[in-house]
Amino acid sequence: MTAQAESAVAGPSPEGPATAASTRGLRKTYGRTVAVEHVDLDVPEGAVLGMLGPNGSGKTTTIRMLLGLVQPTDGDVQLLGHPMPDRAAEALPDVGALVEGPGFHPFLSGRENLLRLAAAEPRLTSGRIPAAVDEALERVGLTRAGGRRYRGYSLGMKQRLGLAAALLVPRRLVMLDEPTNGLDPAGTREIRSVIADLHRDGVTVLVSSHLLAEVEATCTHVAVMNEGTLVAQGDLTELLESESPALEVSTTDSAAAVTALRAAHLSARPTPDGVRAELTRATAPDVVATLVDAGVPVYEARRSRTGLEDLFARLTQDSEEAPTWRS
Amino acid sequence: MEVMTEPARRTAPVSRLVRAELRWIFRRPRTLAVLGLLGVIPVIMGIALAVADPTGSSSPGEGPGAGEGGGLLATAAGSVLVLPIAALTMTLRMLLPLAAAMAGADALAGETATGTLRGWLLAPVSRGRLLLVKALGVATFTLVAATMIAVTGAVTALVLNGADTLYTLSGTTLSIPDALGRIALAVGWVTLQLWAVGAVALAISAFTEHPMVVLASVLGGIIVFTVLGSLDALSWLHPVLLTEAWWAIVDVLRDPIPDADLIGGALKAACYLVIGLSIAYARLVSKDG
Amino acid sequence: MNTKRKAATVAVAGTAAGALGLGLLAMPAGAESAPELPEIEAQELVGSVLKAQPPAMSGTATVDNELGLPSVPGMPALDAQSARVYYDGEGRGRVAMEQQSSELTYVLGEREFWSYDSAAGTATRAELPDGAREQHRNQEAAGADPSQVATQVVDRLEESSNVSVDGTARVAGRAAYELVLTPKPDERTLVREVRVAVDSEERLPLRMSVLTHGTTEPAFEAGFSEIEFGPQPERLFEFSPPEGTEVTEREPGRNGGPQHGGDAEGPEFDVAGDGWDTVLLGRIPSEMREGAESNGTDMTGMLERFGKPVQGEFGSGHVVETRIGTALITEDGRIAAGAVPEQVLRQALENR
Repeated sequence: MTAQAESAVAGPSPEGPATAASTRGLRKTYGRTVAVEHVDLDVPEGAVLGMLGPNGSGKTTTIRMLLGLVQPTDGDVQLLGHPMPDRAAEALPDVGALVEGPGFHPFLSGRENLLRLAAAEPRLTSGRIPAAVDEALERVGLTRAGGRRYRGYSLGMKQRLGLAAALLVPRRLVMLDEPTNGLDPAGTREIRSVIADLHRDGVTVLVSSHLLAEVEATCTHVAVMNEGTLVAQGDLTELLESESPALEVSTTDSAAAVTALRAAHLSARPTPDGVRAELTRATAPDVVATLVDAGVPVYEARRSRTGLEDLFARLTQDSEEAPTWRS
Repeated sequence: MEVMTEPARRTAPVSRLVRAELRWIFRRPRTLAVLGLLGVIPVIMGIALAVADPTGSSSPGEGPGAGEGGGLLATAAGSVLVLPIAALTMTLRMLLPLAAAMAGADALAGETATGTLRGWLLAPVSRGRLLLVKALGVATFTLVAATMIAVTGAVTALVLNGADTLYTLSGTTLSIPDALGRIALAVGWVTLQLWAVGAVALAISAFTEHPMVVLASVLGGIIVFTVLGSLDALSWLHPVLLTEAWWAIVDVLRDPIPDADLIGGALKAACYLVIGLSIAYARLVSKDG
Repeated sequence: MNTKRKAATVAVAGTAAGALGLGLLAMPAGAESAPELPEIEAQELVGSVLKAQPPAMSGTATVDNELGLPSVPGMPALDAQSARVYYDGEGRGRVAMEQQSSELTYVLGEREFWSYDSAAGTATRAELPDGAREQHRNQEAAGADPSQVATQVVDRLEESSNVSVDGTARVAGRAAYELVLTPKPDERTLVREVRVAVDSEERLPLRMSVLTHGTTEPAFEAGFSEIEFGPQPERLFEFSPPEGTEVTEREPGRNGGPQHGGDAEGPEFDVAGDGWDTVLLGRIPSEMREGAESNGTDMTGMLERFGKPVQGEFGSGHVVETRIGTALITEDGRIAAGAVPEQVLRQALENR
């Protein structure tokens, strides 16, 4: 299993950039059920890491162990350079988190809920608390609703309040577990823009999601989990590029195109609107030149986006639970 | 000391956490409803006794005043001192322990259920501190609950009987400071008993995320203890039962105060407090948040 | 792992400490070993008890009865859990009998005797006859030489019993001698022995236990569970009833001691036999029986509940048996009672 994780391109390298969070040999069992096993995760500093995986693949358990909420059965966890959960007091003040949905008291207003959480923030002096709460509310667009009882909040408002709680103080690392759950497209865009802001400010972000499009749109890195193990991780672009690169060519004469490419010892197959050429043994210009030389009309040529979707499907094909797709 | 060497503070001050906890407890509608209910009980008792006018009825051992607590109620009708203590005695049988259990249930099980406990654990608040803050919250609530009963009881009795009826079960009449001192002693002693109940409730609360389980366990425990306490065949067990100490509260109405049972009851409560808090602590530090 | 071990340590240590505390609280006070005291003769011990003037003290007296009789409603003396006793050393005293949620208080003051019932809100006051307390104080002077009295007392006792000092005991934290009276073999009594624990310093009886045949646990035990010698606050020996209390005045001189009951005339008694098989014979006054009925206490009903019907030459009646005594009450109101088996009572009634 470890071999599988390390076989992924851009695996952890000892000389690589500093990690904001990492695990080694992480394992968690509940009775006989193995929730997480052999997870060697690295969250590079400054990255936006999307943690992907079907429901029940161990994403949330891994995040809870990273935060010291759950005691690992085995293995080590480092969070901002501190071993967890023993040194939680050093690491956690710089970490903001939204785990397993927002948890707030229904009879208190959103603002009062945040005040209560802010009271526990070591980085906030008592005098700073009200201002910090107001800033956090403003950041997630809840300034006007802050005085209302949490009971009356919509799902999206609840989620945004949870995000506000994670952002009460400037953090070095923010972990968001399914932050767009229950959000409408506008809400999802807002979360993306918050993540983008954090990234611009140099904050490391770990987002777990089962929504591939979301991860693809916002993340610099991905980690894919399946059935409790980490099946791939690394830089998003590198991961995608490593997936059998191909060139999609639009042409009216796909038969001729295939013949021409195969004649040049390039593997190719016809597609509905043209031909798909593998780039394992040739570069994109080689392919286009071959086709033009053979007199095949080329309307358009583009790198095929294998896409996260394909990658994910391949990595998790054994999983019974199909991930939810959304474009 | 560690804090001194750290450039940035690693943990929020306990006083701030306690203040936040108290604000949360006393903002909760349920808390206010329970306190209101407890505050009304002595008023109802006082008015009912005044309307029923038990003076002249019943000699000892017969008539409506007979039986457990009946004598106390009969006396409560006429004495400013006795009504608050009688109200405490009655509510200590069931309502006050349930109120303490409710506070303990909400403190951990309730907060786990709403997912709000995690917020503090991530701040981070260490689990030991969390228990300390939670225990102080429960302790404050129970103190307020007991005080509420004593205050409304004393005020009701003052309105109904006037200030010159500060007499004890031994027939002596007390000065106002002495009477207030005794009421304070009763409130303190009852609160200590409630802390014991609250500590046990916190321990149960640390094991579950269903507040009702805590309430049901404490209610069941009180009933079982009361039944065991009423069985003479189990008299060897009685000194261990918390509920068996609770009648000693009546001793503050005797003059001079016989202190043996009060001290014994306080020590017993302290033992339950230690057991409850240590189990709660052990469970809380090893529990997944 | 580390956290788990810490958690387990705390849980075990805390629970053990709490349980140990509860265990200590539950431990019976009598677990202390018997003190070592100089030997003493029974006669000397009795003499010193008679001579001793009870000093100022406060204490808690408890009555523990395993008589095998269900508690009878309307008889407060026995269902009292315990009584607190205060004595000033000069004839004034206060006794507070604790009920679960009320109290019966008796105060013997300088010139008056008060009783107060908190449940009923009633008090009784009796003025003491002049010189009553002087009499008490001068008892010692008026009486004969205590050692001589002791000899007489012990002689009288030894007619029917063996009197001995049997070891020592610790009662309410005080070292005490155990004076034991054992009925002579020819005495027809239910009692096996009576033990009286006498304080080794103050020579005050601290505890009396009555043991019957066949058991090691006393059938009846009365004694101090707590006692402290020393001056008591003056206010304890004065009493003024709380406002609103119904006060009954009683004629001076009658019923001077703490007694519970109505104003009905007490039954008059006669004695048959001597020593341990003494039987008290009497007749319940008719007005008391009627009074009891009008009070709501159904005498016959009670007898039927606790007694068993008997018949004989004396007529018919009910016998009430306890572990240390038996009483026979006939239909026509005659009563015989003693620390004896039923047979002795029958004989006593028949021999009248």
